[in-house]
Amino acid sequence: MSFDLHRPATISEAIGLSTRLAPAARYIAGGTDLVIQINRKKVFPDHLIDLGQLPGLAGVAETAGGYSLGSLTTYRSIELHPAFQGNLSGVIEAARVVGGHQVRNVATVGGNIVNASPAADFVPALLVLDAELELTGPAGNRIVALRDFVVGPGRTVLGPAEIVTSIRFARLPDRSATAFLKEGRRKAMEISVVCVAACLTLDESGSSCASARLAVGAAAPKAMRPQQAEAYLLNRPPGRVSFAEAGRLAAESSAPISDVRASAEHRRHLVAVMVERALTACHQRILEQGR
Amino acid sequence: MTRTNLDILINGERHQILIEPHWTLLHVLRSVVGMMGTKENCLEAECGVCTVLLDGKSVNSCILLAGQTAGRSVTTIEGIGNPEHLHPLQAAFIECGAVQCGYCIPGMILTAKSFLDENPGRRQSRDEIREAIAGNLCRCTGYRKIVDAVALAAERMSVAGAKP
Repeated sequence: MSFDLHRPATISEAIGLSTRLAPAARYIAGGTDLVIQINRKKVFPDHLIDLGQLPGLAGVAETAGGYSLGSLTTYRSIELHPAFQGNLSGVIEAARVVGGHQVRNVATVGGNIVNASPAADFVPALLVLDAELELTGPAGNRIVALRDFVVGPGRTVLGPAEIVTSIRFARLPDRSATAFLKEGRRKAMEISVVCVAACLTLDESGSSCASARLAVGAAAPKAMRPQQAEAYLLNRPPGRVSFAEAGRLAAESSAPISDVRASAEHRRHLVAVMVERALTACHQRILEQGR
Repeated sequence: MTRTNLDILINGERHQILIEPHWTLLHVLRSVVGMMGTKENCLEAECGVCTVLLDGKSVNSCILLAGQTAGRSVTTIEGIGNPEHLHPLQAAFIECGAVQCGYCIPGMILTAKSFLDENPGRRQSRDEIREAIAGNLCRCTGYRKIVDAVALAAERMSVAGAKP
């Protein structure tokens, strides 16, 4: 292991360093994944550019339209943030299954997204919120939808020297709820076998689905939105029958692999069951809000 | 590879240490400063024996580059109590017999401390405690007595109303 560690004080300094040292440089945020990969000799950067002390990149802000998470926001601070305890509870549910407390005190949302692991737990929770990423690079800022950002396992559309600076999503309308479910081989400290996020909005009468957004992790090369299942639910009455059918459709559009954690067949079964459960949880939460 | 100077507060004491960029905080604590209370095992943030507090929050020192901690405050097991004045968690671990080989205990206690400090004065449920120590493995006592000890300390600290 041999590299230099750079600690820029500003974003533009970081981008300048990365441009100058390319391609032998990697950005590091929390480092909870990168340092392990370096120790395992899977990556060999000559230079690490630590983003950890850049100002303004950590924390949750409420904006006119919704929420903005600085990319250096830790999972633990999301988990404990009061803003997500209402209809965004799916965000908390996803944050609290990332590693143990010690990892969540350090690991950042931006780092997890940029890693582009097919099993990244937080990505589905953000996908159902139609989250957008703000990127800053040598040519300035740009906005990319999260669903377009990850291209495949470990691959993103991030350009040379670009940094994810924030993650944004809109506030949810009334009669909405979110849920996140994870299935691993044990209850904690585990990579997902399958994880599912759902965001459901009912119409004014509460008798049909005005919007249903679903995301499935670890069941395809990247976290995916099962569009047929989402389209099926539109304008249908919420309940066991429609949620089960949505689960079946989501499983049909998933493309899981068999590996040491589970067979493809088992994963597909989990997708069906977990999509139904996540939607049921959302429905239950909306009913509870109405009381 | 350039050696750099690390300015860091360890258990309240300022240290200036010449480090190599790839050194972890764990390496600095054990091999440079000589604080052997922090244990070394999996080196992949799975087992929790290397847990220390960074600005009061539990972290795995095995995967944290020492350079990332410049200017910050680290607390190890040596820094939260001494034989004359044990931290309530340390006292509770002894009373509950939550110690066998002892290797996981520094990490367990610091993880629990970080967790209890997040909500001072509040009693924690056993489920919450179990979830809080999910990142710490124990291979000999099992977890029941450890959870007992954290619950007892949480109870006493909540009665005391503030962290010691």
